[in-house]
Amino acid sequence: MLPEIGLNHYLIISAILFSLGLFGVMTRKNAVVVLMGVELILNAANINLLAFGKYNGSMQGIMFSLFVIVLAAAEAAVALAIIINIYNTFKTVDLSEVDTMKE
Amino acid sequence: MDTLIQFSIIALLLPLVSFVFLIFTNKKLPREGDFIAAGAVGVSLILSLYIFFQVVVGEYNPDYSLTWNFTWIDFGDVPGVGPLQIKMGILIDNLTAIMLVVVNLISFLVHVFSMGYMAGDKYYGRFFAYLGIFTFSMLGIVLADNLLAIYIFWELVGLSSYLLIGFFFEKDSAANAQKKAFMTNRIGDIGMWLGILILYSQFHTFGYEEIFQGIQDGRFTMSEGWLTAAGILLFCGCIGKSAQFPLHVWLPDAMEGPTPVSALIHAATMVAAGVYFVARIFVLLTVDALHVIAIIGAFTAFMAATIAITQHDIKRVLAYSTVSQLGYMVMGLGVGAFAPAFFHLVTHAFFKACLFLGSGAVIHAAHHEQDMRWMGGLRTKMPWTFATFTIAMLALAGLPLTSGFMSKDAILAGALGFAAVEGGLYYLIPALGFTAALMTAFYMGRQMWLVFFGENRAHLKPEDPHDDHHHAHDDHHGHEVHEVSWEMRLPLVILAALSIFFVYSINPLDGAKGWFLHVIKTPNTVVQSTGDYHNHTEDHAKASGLFIKEAYAESKSDTHTESHDAEHASVFSDPRQAAIDHATHDAHYMAIAFSSIMLLFGFGLAYVVYFKGIIDPDKTAEKIKPLYLYSFNKWYWDEIYDATIIRGSFMLSNMMAWFDKNIVDGMVNFVGSSSKWFAFKNGRFDQLVVDGAVNFTAFIIQFFGLVFRKIQTGHVQTYVALALVAIIGYFVYFFIG
Repeated sequence: MLPEIGLNHYLIISAILFSLGLFGVMTRKNAVVVLMGVELILNAANINLLAFGKYNGSMQGIMFSLFVIVLAAAEAAVALAIIINIYNTFKTVDLSEVDTMKE
Repeated sequence: MDTLIQFSIIALLLPLVSFVFLIFTNKKLPREGDFIAAGAVGVSLILSLYIFFQVVVGEYNPDYSLTWNFTWIDFGDVPGVGPLQIKMGILIDNLTAIMLVVVNLISFLVHVFSMGYMAGDKYYGRFFAYLGIFTFSMLGIVLADNLLAIYIFWELVGLSSYLLIGFFFEKDSAANAQKKAFMTNRIGDIGMWLGILILYSQFHTFGYEEIFQGIQDGRFTMSEGWLTAAGILLFCGCIGKSAQFPLHVWLPDAMEGPTPVSALIHAATMVAAGVYFVARIFVLLTVDALHVIAIIGAFTAFMAATIAITQHDIKRVLAYSTVSQLGYMVMGLGVGAFAPAFFHLVTHAFFKACLFLGSGAVIHAAHHEQDMRWMGGLRTKMPWTFATFTIAMLALAGLPLTSGFMSKDAILAGALGFAAVEGGLYYLIPALGFTAALMTAFYMGRQMWLVFFGENRAHLKPEDPHDDHHHAHDDHHGHEVHEVSWEMRLPLVILAALSIFFVYSINPLDGAKGWFLHVIKTPNTVVQSTGDYHNHTEDHAKASGLFIKEAYAESKSDTHTESHDAEHASVFSDPRQAAIDHATHDAHYMAIAFSSIMLLFGFGLAYVVYFKGIIDPDKTAEKIKPLYLYSFNKWYWDEIYDATIIRGSFMLSNMMAWFDKNIVDGMVNFVGSSSKWFAFKNGRFDQLVVDGAVNFTAFIIQFFGLVFRKIQTGHVQTYVALALVAIIGYFVYFFIG
């Protein structure tokens, strides 16, 4: 008998997803994979927003998550452009190679 | 503004305009602009004559006075001083009107004379420019209506005197003489300035009238001693300018200037300025101050006359004679013979200017020979100069029928009257005066016979190859002495004419009947006699009372003219002055008798010694050698001053220099070296402690920098991880901690 799905389940899913995203951002060397981790984090936040929106009984969460999706699309576009520029500059997308900020 | 005031301002400014114009342009003008200078003074003279005729002849009133003034500078209420407002103005009364004519006339004649005398001089135009500024300053003194203005012009006169004495500045002696004159005058001027300040501190004004009124109203709050001090200090200005003992030493040296300058400045006008100034402030002089003035005047008259007897230089004899005559005037003021003193100032100005110009003519004709021993026999060669010189000489000696006789006898009568009232030792004052009169006759007779009579002794002069000045004229020595040109003769004739009695009075024996002593009257003193004075001289006060009664009785029963009556009535407010005036009146004929005896004796002696040659002057001098040398060396005043004041100031300066060099410099050097030492110590401290602290701080910061730079890897993911750690830490702190 499975228990009824509640807010906590959503939050746990969201937390797992956030953690996976964060893990991807912090450990992957490839900038594109890091970008994918960022997308995971954004979607974890979306799940959170939708879950709170559902249990709160208002449309605010849904509306906010829609904005996040739009922003995520824009962010992906900008971030990919940045990655292309990084590639043009360093001839690599390996983030461990890109450390000119320390100087 | 009154016409007279306007005229006087124009007369004052014209010589200044001539000075400013000539000093810049004299080289570009034909004749170097002498006609401009003479013309300016000539117009000034005409205006002065107009003022003279309006005031003296027109009004004929002893009390006439006309003033005009304006606020020159208004400082407002100065802290510590009070309201400070400086006024400038013009005062015209009989004194001023007469002085204006005297100054302008002599100045004009000297301009004319100089055209001949200075002809061919390298700085001919500049000479006339200097004469202009001198005339301007002298007129300023005459016209000023307050003490500050007279002080300013006083200094200007000193400056122009300085410039003109040193006119031949290439000669060392002239340069030294000008310095000596200027510095000696400064000593007197400082005293005068202090006197002005004493009066200013009391009345907050410089104006004569306000000060006199203030003293009369008893607003002089300090003791009478201070008023005496103020009077004597103001008199110090006169001591300097009028060459009275002890500051007389500059005047004989000032003869280094060109002879016309000696005539204008050092005989007739500037040196008389001191006497004029004392006459201006006469009313505020206390009895004690007057005594000091009388004693100094009498002593100067006597001392200078003794020196004049033995001098060889024709101008030096006249210079000492001037000092002596100025002493007479000062003595006259001191003994209360105000009008005679001023009378003598005017008559002396004319005849002494004539004598100086005459000696200038002689020097000019004799090719710059000034030593009387090498002159002689000029009578026939220079008849005009001889005649005018004789008249002026007789006036100086005081022969009846000349102007000098009237004025000098009036002063001597005044001195006798003064002595009769004061009694005792004060009889020394007329005694000195009469002795000086005797010697005046003697030395003038000596000069006369040495210069104009006998044989020409120019060839006897020993050659002195070291004397450049005379050397340059050696080639002239063969030339004949000749009469001077007309522009040098004309002033002599005019001045000689003004030395004759009828210019001043119809009666040649009694100047008091003339117009001059009618318009010049002794002013009423404004000093309140204190009880102290009355106690001190109680017997005199009683005697004065007696004199007053007698004078009253006499003037009532007198059939004399109204003027004589007024003369006595005007002085009754001051019993002492009344007593002196009365005694003077009594002593009049005695004075004439005495001075005539002195005159005859003096002339007789000079005649016997220098004309007849009965007594050989050189042998006599040898017999009384100490006395002769004492007189010849001018009482050793220069040496005494050199030994005391000049050496003293050198010693003081050396002491000061030593003090400066050793004590002050030592202190400065000590402060210097100690601060150097301290600076080095301070430097060590800086290097060790302060630098150490700074370096230590830098080291710490460098250490932490080295540690923390490890965090900055440049990897984005490290930063994300650090942000995560921070956020977790934040959460832990808020939710758990």
